[in-house]
Amino acid sequence: MSYIDILKEAEDQVTPGMSACQGCGGELILRTVLKIAGKNTIVGIPPGCMAGAGVVGWNYANGLKIPVHIPLLDNTASFLTGLSQMYERKGRGEVNMIGIAGDGATADCGFQSLSAAAERNEKMLYVCYDNEGYMNTGYQRSSTTTKGSRTSTTPIGAVINGKQQQQKYLPLIMSMHGLTYCATASPSHMADFVKKVEKGLAASKKGFAYLHVFSPCPTGWAYSPEKAIEVARNAVRSNMFPLWEMDEDGYHMNVRNKTPISVKEFIQGIGKFKNLTEEDINSIQQIADQRFHILMRLAEQGME
Amino acid sequence: MEKRLHITPIGDEGMYILDTASWRVYRPVMDKEKCIDCGMCLAFCPVNAVAAVGKKFEITYDYCKGCGICANECKKGAIAMVLEGGSR
Repeated sequence: MSYIDILKEAEDQVTPGMSACQGCGGELILRTVLKIAGKNTIVGIPPGCMAGAGVVGWNYANGLKIPVHIPLLDNTASFLTGLSQMYERKGRGEVNMIGIAGDGATADCGFQSLSAAAERNEKMLYVCYDNEGYMNTGYQRSSTTTKGSRTSTTPIGAVINGKQQQQKYLPLIMSMHGLTYCATASPSHMADFVKKVEKGLAASKKGFAYLHVFSPCPTGWAYSPEKAIEVARNAVRSNMFPLWEMDEDGYHMNVRNKTPISVKEFIQGIGKFKNLTEEDINSIQQIADQRFHILMRLAEQGME
Repeated sequence: MEKRLHITPIGDEGMYILDTASWRVYRPVMDKEKCIDCGMCLAFCPVNAVAAVGKKFEITYDYCKGCGICANECKKGAIAMVLEGGSR
């Protein structure tokens, strides 16, 4: 069964009309994950774009066709831990526990509860849609924001020229927690994404599964909405966002670019990067290459 | 009791639904001649506005926000973005 058939036959669990922006990557990720998970699911969505867009409901109305809760920004993973353990005790371990959080609620505020839950190997699937910032409140910088990005807290001016620090690479940090399954995915590579959600759901019955999904944001990044998938594809093609997974057999590289494009080509047409100097671009390229090299070495170790 | 469109586990008022079709400036129109039924538009539509009818795919306009991802990603160029006219 191809991934198109899976998506075609699955029922959409999200309200048909939600107030996410035109061309929102997060909405696509949310719908795809819940399509595959199906009815037998409980979802925790912390404050962020998806909660703000009405997915957790509004004025006694529900935003999903399945149970959904809004934990605090910093306790999604611990909230789901409680649910998961209670369901296990009641003999209902087959229910999918899914957390869908933005990068702020994953890499910054929510990191301590996430890290603890991953280390305890609690049974859940945690999906992070990484749009590189706090988009819901008007794009403040987060720790996963790429260097040089123009955000509302790191504006372009006389003192600084966008974000000064390099991005934190969370998926690799998460994979070192001794969890059951860890992977990165991109909505542009749908076949790979669907496969990883299925694998993640299966792994979430045994332990902690973490999925880091690239989520392009037209509003915050300042590019036109129809380019969303193109931007995500270019991120993978330029090795800025390599697609890999870690399961019980070790690390695997899922997409190998024979001729990767440069970071310069990736940032073309994205408004938040238009201030970048040659020096900035080179340092981003260097970090991307370095990261890819580390991942390749890890993947090759698994082959032996 | 009024018949509901969607059954929800909690919430008295049923489902939170927004009329996102009113946001649309450009409307995607599919050229059935060029379409090869690959389903890329369905896979990439963030709003789930592409419906599968048997082996064919059709764009529905009830909630389509008009983002244009389908037109941009269609390999055969079978989807055109046409400016909305008249009411709605």
